[in-house]
Amino acid sequence: MKTYAETLYDAYGQVFAVDKIYFENKTDHQHLIIFENAKFGRVMALDGIIQTTEADEFIYHEMLTHVPLMAHGNVKRVLIIGGGDGGMLREVCKHASVEHITQVEIDHQVVDMCKEFLPNHSAGAYSDPRVNIVIDDGANFVRECAEQFDVIISDSTDPIGPGDVLFTSDFYENCKKCLSENGILVTQNGVAYMQLDEVTTTAKRLQSFFKDTSFYSAAVPTYVGGIMTFAWASNNPALRTLTNEVIAQRFAELSIKTRYYNPAIHVASFALPQYILDALAAQD
Amino acid sequence: MNRITIQSKDKAAFYQQMVEQHSSPLLILDCDQLVDQFNLLTRALPGVELYYAIKALPHPAAIQTLDALGAGFDIATTGEIELLREQGSRARHTIHTHPIKRDKDIRDALRFGCTTFVIDNIWELEKFVDYRHRVGLLLRISFPNPNTPIDLSRKFGCREDEAPLLIQKAQSLGLHIKGLSFHAGSQCADSSNHVHAINQCAKIIDHVYKDSGKLLSVLDIGGGFPVEYIQKTMDIETFCAPINLALQQLPEHIQVIAEPGRYLSAPAMKAVSRVMGKAKRGDSCWYYLDDGIYGSYSGQLFDHTTYPLTIFSDINAKEKAVLAGPTCDSIDVIAEDISMPPLSIGDIVVGHQMGAYTSATSTHFNLFDKAKIVAINQSIKSKENVIQLNK
Repeated sequence: MKTYAETLYDAYGQVFAVDKIYFENKTDHQHLIIFENAKFGRVMALDGIIQTTEADEFIYHEMLTHVPLMAHGNVKRVLIIGGGDGGMLREVCKHASVEHITQVEIDHQVVDMCKEFLPNHSAGAYSDPRVNIVIDDGANFVRECAEQFDVIISDSTDPIGPGDVLFTSDFYENCKKCLSENGILVTQNGVAYMQLDEVTTTAKRLQSFFKDTSFYSAAVPTYVGGIMTFAWASNNPALRTLTNEVIAQRFAELSIKTRYYNPAIHVASFALPQYILDALAAQD
Repeated sequence: MNRITIQSKDKAAFYQQMVEQHSSPLLILDCDQLVDQFNLLTRALPGVELYYAIKALPHPAAIQTLDALGAGFDIATTGEIELLREQGSRARHTIHTHPIKRDKDIRDALRFGCTTFVIDNIWELEKFVDYRHRVGLLLRISFPNPNTPIDLSRKFGCREDEAPLLIQKAQSLGLHIKGLSFHAGSQCADSSNHVHAINQCAKIIDHVYKDSGKLLSVLDIGGGFPVEYIQKTMDIETFCAPINLALQQLPEHIQVIAEPGRYLSAPAMKAVSRVMGKAKRGDSCWYYLDDGIYGSYSGQLFDHTTYPLTIFSDINAKEKAVLAGPTCDSIDVIAEDISMPPLSIGDIVVGHQMGAYTSATSTHFNLFDKAKIVAINQSIKSKENVIQLNK
């Protein structure tokens, strides 16, 4: 029986039964694979690290989309960095108030491949007329971008490999430049229990550009090791502390179906466990 | 053993046929022989996991054959990683053993999926701080060996007395040192230095646990397993017997691994070259072969090795001869002051035990092409073997 072992950590890891390989590419100095697993559906892994699975992607994509968009309350323009699988786009497209979405993906092949082998992720979102796909390095795009967005979502790979420029101070500073007055930047920030450094490093970098920075979290089963944190940065601290009532009202008006996100989760997700608070406090 | 064996001309038929098909210079890699060597060493070192040091012969057929047998791989560079990636080898079964690395080397290995690395000093340790949640480290200790042509203890490895401090330092940096490694030498005459190193490592493992409670779980005994070139060497069972005995003193939880390169690959390859010209100089006949010191015979310089040779002739008379390589450099001489029957232009010369550190270190000097490697018996025997191992 075939298996796929994640190689993220030397001392710990998850193993998947591989029922069928849909796509495998070992060239271009990387290893990309999409395979079928009985528990998680289609699984995509890059360089030994699980990127997304059909079964649990909704948690990740809903949390990176609906939390900032609901908190903002009137999002018209959204920038997605990365997110070639289309899952983020699918969730953003559910917001009727959004007039324009720019998605910056470094490699067009990723988009094409995901449309073909992970069609349920984008679920047709790539043909939404509001969407503009740009093929560029995300760090480069925000550096040269003259437009402004209400929400920027950084859906990056791990900070080792092609995604590392999306964790730099330069990137965060350029994102700030591309945000409207009440704009919010959210980023994928790793599994805190396993890699606490990612949280403290990001916090330190974001703090020098934004008035209000924090993290919120969700547990995504195939991002193993506990809760995943999402970085939050804006210049309006009020957006992070909206009440359940306010969020509930906006959510009711939006009238969409979600599987993880709801107003109570929204508010609660900003509560961080003590070990993260301690680590953040220790570096101040 | 004599340096040069003379066989009758009809014995050259196989090589003749190979050079007619592939031209020369040629290296013939016999995958069956790789399988045999792997099985011999596995039998001689029961319970020891083998990681093939692919630097000895970084060839796809060698990787595929050993991969099918369940061997792991010892890698040192991004180039070696790319070779493994192309063969589809499993990253979990690799260890990165270069004690000195650039940040990019670490990142490339991590991206490949290799999470075991070797360090031997504080500066190297500090390079892993950013990756400390992802990696497990082996600490390389130096045990100088006077009985080896290639002493690997000078360039790499910390002193024994530095080990506990480095382990302590690693812990304070949040880094996990999971075991120790050493290299007793290459092509060792006997295993006394392995035994010495194992004894000392056992003491370190014990001390570290008693002093700090830190559990070390891996011992990498390196390579050094000899193959026979010209000098008679110990057979592998005899060589390994004292090692096995020494390993018995280790706590039961210690996993022992080894990094054989030469032992697996050397006997698996033969060099086939042809005489491209001859000249009478003084009292010797000079034969200019199409392969030499800058090519497959580079191991005579870099690896301090002399290879057994075979020529094919039905003439009994012998004369003084020199076998030279093709390049313009006068250092390019494979053998001199030898006595052998006369050869004609186009005749074949075969070099034996030429799988390790031969083509791996050959150059393009004079822009001569490197010898082509042709793999034979690929996957037939290894498949049978896998079936047997699974039984």
